[in-house]
Amino acid sequence: MSVLALKDVSYKYEGTTRVIFKDVNLTFEPGKVYTIVGKSGSGKSTLLSLLSGLDTATSGKVEIGGESLASINRNHYRRKKAGIIFQSLNLLPNATAIDNIVLSMNISGVTGIDKKARALELLEKVGISQEKANRKIVKLSGGEQQRIGIARALAHNPELIIADEPTGSLDKDTEVKVLKIFRSLAQEEGKCVIIVTHSKKVTTIADEIWGLEKGSFRQLDPSEVQAGREIIAKKGRKLV
Amino acid sequence: MYVIEHALLNLGKNKGRNILLGVITLAIITATVVAMGIFNTTRVVIEDTRAATMSAIRIQPIGRTQMTGSSQQESAITLEMHQYFAESLYITGADISDSGRGIEAVYYLIHPDMLGAFESDLRGRGLPDAYTVRTDDAAFASLVAPIENLQSLSVAFLIIILVMGAVIMVLVTAVSIRERKYEIGVLRAMGMKKKSVALGLWAEIIVITCICFIIGMGIGAALTQPVTDSILAGQSQAAGPTTLADRINNAPQTEAVTVDVSITFTTSLQIFAISIVLASVAGIISITRITKYEPIKILMERT
Repeated sequence: MSVLALKDVSYKYEGTTRVIFKDVNLTFEPGKVYTIVGKSGSGKSTLLSLLSGLDTATSGKVEIGGESLASINRNHYRRKKAGIIFQSLNLLPNATAIDNIVLSMNISGVTGIDKKARALELLEKVGISQEKANRKIVKLSGGEQQRIGIARALAHNPELIIADEPTGSLDKDTEVKVLKIFRSLAQEEGKCVIIVTHSKKVTTIADEIWGLEKGSFRQLDPSEVQAGREIIAKKGRKLV
Repeated sequence: MYVIEHALLNLGKNKGRNILLGVITLAIITATVVAMGIFNTTRVVIEDTRAATMSAIRIQPIGRTQMTGSSQQESAITLEMHQYFAESLYITGADISDSGRGIEAVYYLIHPDMLGAFESDLRGRGLPDAYTVRTDDAAFASLVAPIENLQSLSVAFLIIILVMGAVIMVLVTAVSIRERKYEIGVLRAMGMKKKSVALGLWAEIIVITCICFIIGMGIGAALTQPVTDSILAGQSQAAGPTTLADRINNAPQTEAVTVDVSITFTTSLQIFAISIVLASVAGIISITRITKYEPIKILMERT
């Protein structure tokens, strides 16, 4: 059963005639990593806005667990079910890394755990030291901020992870580390991971790769995925 | 609860804009303390003066509206009669003097409401019908005139402060919250409810207001008496100096009118309520405007 689905979704920006998608049908299943590739301006980020409930389709519907996103509380959906990694990071600049993550857990209503410890654990997982975890976001590099954005998206243990260029500012080693996390989230924890990317390396961890061009989606060859996985597996072993 | 915690943490993180908001709030609260302190004290002084002058009774021939001193008719009441009237049970005492030009007599009622009973008593003691028993309205009017002027000034000042203060606070709060549009967009994108975002921003404004209230009460209390003295001194120079007590007793005019201004607990509560209402109105107007934006639009503006 799909965790998320697009049904005949069309989208165009308000006040314009330019159609970004037309009658798109896509389904996303748990336990899989999806990557969506396409040229700049093709509408990849707009698609993620629709999937994360930040925007609404001009026509058609986005369904979450069989329910239309338009008919449920989209704030609740973002709080509880989706972990969103924004391309522009969207962290609170004057708060520390830990505060950003703890706040996310608070907003999501996470209870019964030591939130600070959980935040530190996630930050460590993405390669942020305890010392840096206590620094304000403005005092961290772009790559470090990106990793904090990833940790924040995972903080409330969402069933769906939606990421927009999550490795754009990362060095190669950290990129591999992060990709391994995404892969393990899908494989071991059964989460659905949807990643918009320009990076070929990111597509290598995908179960399905979708190309977006001129408002329509096309599934790319799965053999490319397998080949890529082998590359990432080798890099991963080197890191360990 | 986390919304409030986040708001408190934010106070320290956004020092610049919070200090600006705090300085303006502090100025408004301090001015309100001064105006309210003067207004409430003058109101009490006027009431006390009214009670004092309305208890001071003179016997006047019918047809005279104001007591201007002795007259032939008044002199018709002898010193012995005045002394006999002074034995009435409705008065606390009397000042009776014979200057040679006429007899001056002031009777002090136990309570201003006893005027009718006192007059009946005097009629029984032989007060002729050609005389009436009355309070010294002119004395009251002249006594309270500078205080009423001070009260009017404080009311006008208070109205100006509240209107101007409300406008300034709305503008400053709007600018302050507008600067945080991005933060609001992030919080909303993370799924925070509109009302939680609004509650957090409101809590920050209220905490700033409470801090300013405490400081403003101190500064305002220290300023109120000098400001009052300064205004009264200006009025006394124009109108001729006298003290309340001296005026009641027609004593020589030697000192300026003085009012001991104090900030009572009730006044403090009123100022606190005004501050909270003002800050809340300013905050709610700005918060309502900013939370109507969809998070995607705020975040897209940023990128």
